[in-house]
Amino acid sequence: MTPPPSSFTFTVEVSRSTAHLHLAGDLDYDTGDTLVQEADRCLTDHPHLRELRLDCAHLCFCDSVGISSLLTIHRRTTARTVRLRLENSPPFLQRLLDVTGIQQLFAQPQTSQQAE
Amino acid sequence: MASTKSTSPAQSRLWDLAPYPVILADEAGTVAELNDAAGHLLKGAAPGANLLDVAPAWLAQAHQEAILRTRLAAQGTRKPPVLASVSGRIAAYSFEAHPTVTQDGSVVWWLIDDTDRRLAEEALATERERTTFLAEASNVLLASLNTDRCMATTAQLAAEYLADVAIVITPVSNGKLPVARAVAGQEADRALVVADPSDLPGLGEALQGFPPVPSRWIDPAALPAWVIPQGFGSTIGSVVVTPLPGHGVPAGALILLRGTERAQFNENEEVFARLFAARAGAALSAARLYSEQSAITQTLMRDLLPPSLQRVEGVEIAGGYRPAGEAERVGGDFYDVHPGSSGQDPSLVILGDVCGKGLEAAVLTGKIRNTLQALLPMADDHQRMLRLLNGALLTSHHTRFATLVLASVRRSENEVRLRLTSAGHPYPLVVRRDGSVEEVHTHGSLIGVLPAIEAHSAETVLRPGDTCLLYTDGFTEARGGPLGDELFGEERLRQALSGCADMPAGAVVDRIQMLASQWLRDGPHDDMALLAISAPHTNHLSAVDGTTRGRYTA
Repeated sequence: MTPPPSSFTFTVEVSRSTAHLHLAGDLDYDTGDTLVQEADRCLTDHPHLRELRLDCAHLCFCDSVGISSLLTIHRRTTARTVRLRLENSPPFLQRLLDVTGIQQLFAQPQTSQQAE
Repeated sequence: MASTKSTSPAQSRLWDLAPYPVILADEAGTVAELNDAAGHLLKGAAPGANLLDVAPAWLAQAHQEAILRTRLAAQGTRKPPVLASVSGRIAAYSFEAHPTVTQDGSVVWWLIDDTDRRLAEEALATERERTTFLAEASNVLLASLNTDRCMATTAQLAAEYLADVAIVITPVSNGKLPVARAVAGQEADRALVVADPSDLPGLGEALQGFPPVPSRWIDPAALPAWVIPQGFGSTIGSVVVTPLPGHGVPAGALILLRGTERAQFNENEEVFARLFAARAGAALSAARLYSEQSAITQTLMRDLLPPSLQRVEGVEIAGGYRPAGEAERVGGDFYDVHPGSSGQDPSLVILGDVCGKGLEAAVLTGKIRNTLQALLPMADDHQRMLRLLNGALLTSHHTRFATLVLASVRRSENEVRLRLTSAGHPYPLVVRRDGSVEEVHTHGSLIGVLPAIEAHSAETVLRPGDTCLLYTDGFTEARGGPLGDELFGEERLRQALSGCADMPAGAVVDRIQMLASQWLRDGPHDDMALLAISAPHTNHLSAVDGTTRGRYTA
């Protein structure tokens, strides 16, 4: 799956207690809200959810509004004691999380460390 | 029949049946025959009368020319010429006259009434002219969002095309009536008039948006003096007052004046004036909305715009800011420089970026700048400042955050000592005099979202020719390049900075901004702010010790 260069799409997979959101494209000023809404829907539709995973393998770009939407989702998941994880973060996203000092909020699961 | 000199009675009876006036006149211009229709049309016309006396001048002259051409053709034994038809007015009607030459050299004139066609053609031409005018007027009026210019343009256009004098009046502001007056062919003048709109019948109503009063109800003699511009000499013969309808509220009124020497405004013209007024009103209303908004923005901006910088306590500091939209002159990026309270105290330099853009971001920016200013007494303790700022910004409503860099800047001899603390902000860069570029590894969390934050400071020393650059991600995230979709990126920024070795701070800012603009071309971008801190070249020490001159300039 090759994401279009300057748009944002995602697919959702829900299995028992885990929801997977596969993100692709640019997470920015124009698309941040869309992701927050989708994450909200996952949380309300599946009250038994224990973990929300955001697969960022196909994410091309993330700006400060994108970071803000990730922080919003983190707040919502924390409030419901759902664990939030970022998977397969591309190097640019890792650097962004590192610079902004919020990496520890989105604990990286084993899989992405193996991938490195 | 061709051989007879005069026409036969049968022929003359046939002419009588013709639906058009027909006249036969000989070489001398004497009328030989005419039918009843021609007799009715031309008063006094009868056989024996001269065309010069009974026909209009244009027809008499055309007859003489026709005779002349026929004679010349006969001398040259050429075929009789084909004579051109002529046209002109007879009384209130318009006629086309078609000549035919008889064999004895007389000319028969067949007159065809084309008054209706002429009228239709004229009406069509007028209508086309008006449509063109209205379209052009809309273009011209909408080209300017400046209320004053829009009023002046409306007055000028109306004076030129609709009247001799036009006056645009907008609703009372501060007890005065703003007016723009124009005389056809002259520049409009603007004035604020202290006057009661009800001085002129229909004006008060028009300013409230009521339908216009018919022109014939307004007595030109009742016009108050302030209405008539100074450049207009003649007496006013007729007046039209029409509202300029705006978006919901009336945008003003338009007064049209004509001198006594011109025809009064007819009903058709009044309707047309209203069509024009509708367009002018829309343009004026848009201009006013815009100027109100821009006044609000300017009021906000006065406090939000970054300060202009210069040398602070012997350190060169230069800043540059380019907001995301040209229309939004304020945004989410900011910088401030607070000189130390005494010459020994370091100055505090702040550059930051609030997530988002536009007015919302600008408001948060203002809050951060004010809070930091209040925290200046503890400017030495960056961590404490950031913790307190974070606490002040925390809210459950949103996760709008800020990233920033604090820099304590102190001049020491000819060097500048920097202590830098980043709160989730991109690393500051330092370009050395030899062109090498270093990151300053200060590290911390962003501000305004997390209940607890951490921040680690780093120190560096700038020697003459070195520059420290603080920038916002608007630069690294600027999309452009050959294909228009590539990010400017950190690597390109480092390269650009490497080319700025040994430049004064102002030149570094200009150069980086220029390179980023070239990269962007006209593409959209986020707010972009940057700040350069340099240790200036100085011969300060050479004044103390003459032998060391050249040590810093070589």
